[in-house]
Amino acid sequence: MISEEQQDQAALYALGLLNPDEDAAFESQLSASAELRDLVRELREATGDLALTAPSRLPPASLKQRVMRDIGMEPERSAPIPTQRASFAWIPWALAAMLMVLCGVLALDRASLRRELTDARAADPLMQTIFFTLTPSESAPVDAKATVAWQPSRQSGVIRITNLPAPQPGRDYQLWAVDAAHKDPISAGVIRVDKNGVAQIRFKPVDTAQQVKAFAISLEREGGAPKKEGPILLVGTA
Amino acid sequence: MAEETATAQQMADREMVARIGRGDQSAFSALYDRLSGPLYSLAMNMLGDTAEAQDALQDAFLQIWSRAGTYDPEQSSVFSWSVLLTRSKVIDRLRARGRRSRVVVGSTDDKETRTEAADASTIESATDTADKNDEAAHVRSVLNNLPSEQREAIELAFFGDLTHHEIAARLGQPLGTVKARIRRGLLKLRQRLHT
Repeated sequence: MISEEQQDQAALYALGLLNPDEDAAFESQLSASAELRDLVRELREATGDLALTAPSRLPPASLKQRVMRDIGMEPERSAPIPTQRASFAWIPWALAAMLMVLCGVLALDRASLRRELTDARAADPLMQTIFFTLTPSESAPVDAKATVAWQPSRQSGVIRITNLPAPQPGRDYQLWAVDAAHKDPISAGVIRVDKNGVAQIRFKPVDTAQQVKAFAISLEREGGAPKKEGPILLVGTA
Repeated sequence: MAEETATAQQMADREMVARIGRGDQSAFSALYDRLSGPLYSLAMNMLGDTAEAQDALQDAFLQIWSRAGTYDPEQSSVFSWSVLLTRSKVIDRLRARGRRSRVVVGSTDDKETRTEAADASTIESATDTADKNDEAAHVRSVLNNLPSEQREAIELAFFGDLTHHEIAARLGQPLGTVKARIRRGLLKLRQRLHT
């Protein structure tokens, strides 16, 4: 049970209004109460949403270039304008013409390759398979991982998990398909790992997935939940 | 355990931050594209100065880049985490310059009309990012429907960088009353936005 005073402190904490001493005192209460942590998380979400009430503005494009440069990625730069003499002005045009011819040849070649690829996909089920690599979140062991081979046409897949210890009694791991056409992740069933933290099973989501964007594994109550409730342990896109 | 109903967007955000934590610059670029608008809007609203808001946003994204590996999805969504980081950078700037936010508490619609017209940055088109604007309109509506004294206290705390003691002094109300207004207002926001 959370007292009114704790609720006061939780609201001030979420807004960043507590001084360092009050912060430290409240954090010690937080570490002892899951209920209080849940409340703080929800109040933080409400606090974050307040940012959306600011009048909407967009930063200039040049700011992104500054930021990307700071993290070590070269921003896209416009090509410098050559200062060449007029007598060589035909050279860029000649190069452009050669490039156009080359592009035409490559386009024909690409169309041919695409036809071959389409034929091969139709003939080989493996070519219709999409692979997802799931990596651990903060809540999962760092060396846990999973790979999903998903066949949209069959609405089924195979998952292989390694280094994921069995959950505590009363809990199960559950697989979810995050689909573009569904608001909530679609359950793809409960997964049980062996004593070595390994599982390899075939699965089929409970609802039709139109366009799977990601697969995720969460920790749920025993037997699984109809909608995701627990924390995500592994998640990954194609 | 946190009661979560992670949307596909939230899961995609988490995946992006996980990739950023592993040094993936393309994921960082994508997260910048997704969040820079609302975060810049927040910085502009608090600082009221284009150059300072840009510097604060730059600092915030550099911190997102360096701290992505320590992001904990159990504590907050990526969006809220980014908002809190940005707000912290804005507050650093406000305090370094020894002045407070120019925010004027009132209805958020009123505030919009008071935004400095001289700002050179772009005011986002209403037809752009319709989903985000719908969400913003919903949050504004919920905030505007709070009792005015609760809304005022929350706005002073969030946008005005005032402590609860300073809010109490400015409003001429006892500290306990201000705390209760903030608590009740924030709990109502949580209830109406996240249930």
